[in-house]
Amino acid sequence: MFEHSENVIERIVAHLRRPVQIDPAVDSRVMEEIAGGPTPRVSGPHEAPPAETATRAFQFVVVAPRAARVALVGDFNDWDAARTPMRPSQRGGPVWTAVVPLSPGRYRYAFLVDGSRWLADPAAPAARDDEFGTPSSVVTVGGS
Amino acid sequence: MHLLRTTSTSLLGATLIATAAAAQDQRLDRLDPSVRPLVASVIDSARAAGLPTEPLVQRALEGATKGAPGEVIVGAVQRLVADLGEARSALGPGTTPPELAAGAAALRAGAGPAVLAKLRRARSQTITVPLAVLADLVASGVPVDSAAAAVLALASTTRDADLVEFRRAVERDIALGAPPGMAVSTAASAAYGAQGLQLDAGARQSRPSRP
Repeated sequence: MFEHSENVIERIVAHLRRPVQIDPAVDSRVMEEIAGGPTPRVSGPHEAPPAETATRAFQFVVVAPRAARVALVGDFNDWDAARTPMRPSQRGGPVWTAVVPLSPGRYRYAFLVDGSRWLADPAAPAARDDEFGTPSSVVTVGGS
Repeated sequence: MHLLRTTSTSLLGATLIATAAAAQDQRLDRLDPSVRPLVASVIDSARAAGLPTEPLVQRALEGATKGAPGEVIVGAVQRLVADLGEARSALGPGTTPPELAAGAAALRAGAGPAVLAKLRRARSQTITVPLAVLADLVASGVPVDSAAAAVLALASTTRDADLVEFRRAVERDIALGAPPGMAVSTAASAAYGAQGLQLDAGARQSRPSRP
């Protein structure tokens, strides 16, 4: 019984220590206050309002305190760190965002902080087929 | 005989063109000069076999950007070729490149070719998202059999967006402490509606006990 309770506490602590995740349903005004700009989402890539075309815009968000620059790299931009720099929040906070148009499919991606530190998206599925020793995440874009 | 010679010449020409295409892909210039021809050769072989090459290029570029050793990059691309080939065998010749890529990921996650074939038969529309959700669930810790059973049960009647939401629900429950097998069962039942859903998973986990 005691051991089981410890496990529960450990799980709760581990959950609380995860990088910031906020339910996407959170009041948009609160999010604007956090980022000082348009409503960011802090729970993995989120689909922007649907477009008529097959390509849809997805917003990627990461919290990276003290970062000087953050790049979004993945299957959608040739893993080129110069292609998709992320924008910091207008008030200089730790929230960085980028919007990328994606066609239906499964994409692997990661965040590159200050050109050397790799971060997976804590709010997205992990790429199990990672073979290069650094974490990656997965975003899946559906067609229906 | 003449026809055979003509066909062989055409195939040879197509292969040479393909080889030239891979060799001229400037994106591969980011690879180490000693690695680039090896990767290009693997990609050429895949193209000749009718497999999609873009996932292979992306895998090589990922390795280059992450600073992986050359042999690791080549090995990763070769394994992806094998997975794509196995996925095509399971899913059929008309499979789209996104479906093949998602199928390869599902195979890598541990799903068997039979599951991929069942998914193909279960759904008339594209199965990219069901395959991707299957791979993601397994990555989240859900036993392969449980994940496959749930996705197979939902695939025929559930839209892509709802499948993605189903996966999110499972991940939420796991993050809150639910055993992965139980989380997928609960979310699948909710997604399937009041009629309930029996998951013949063969890998069920016990109900979580209360502290």
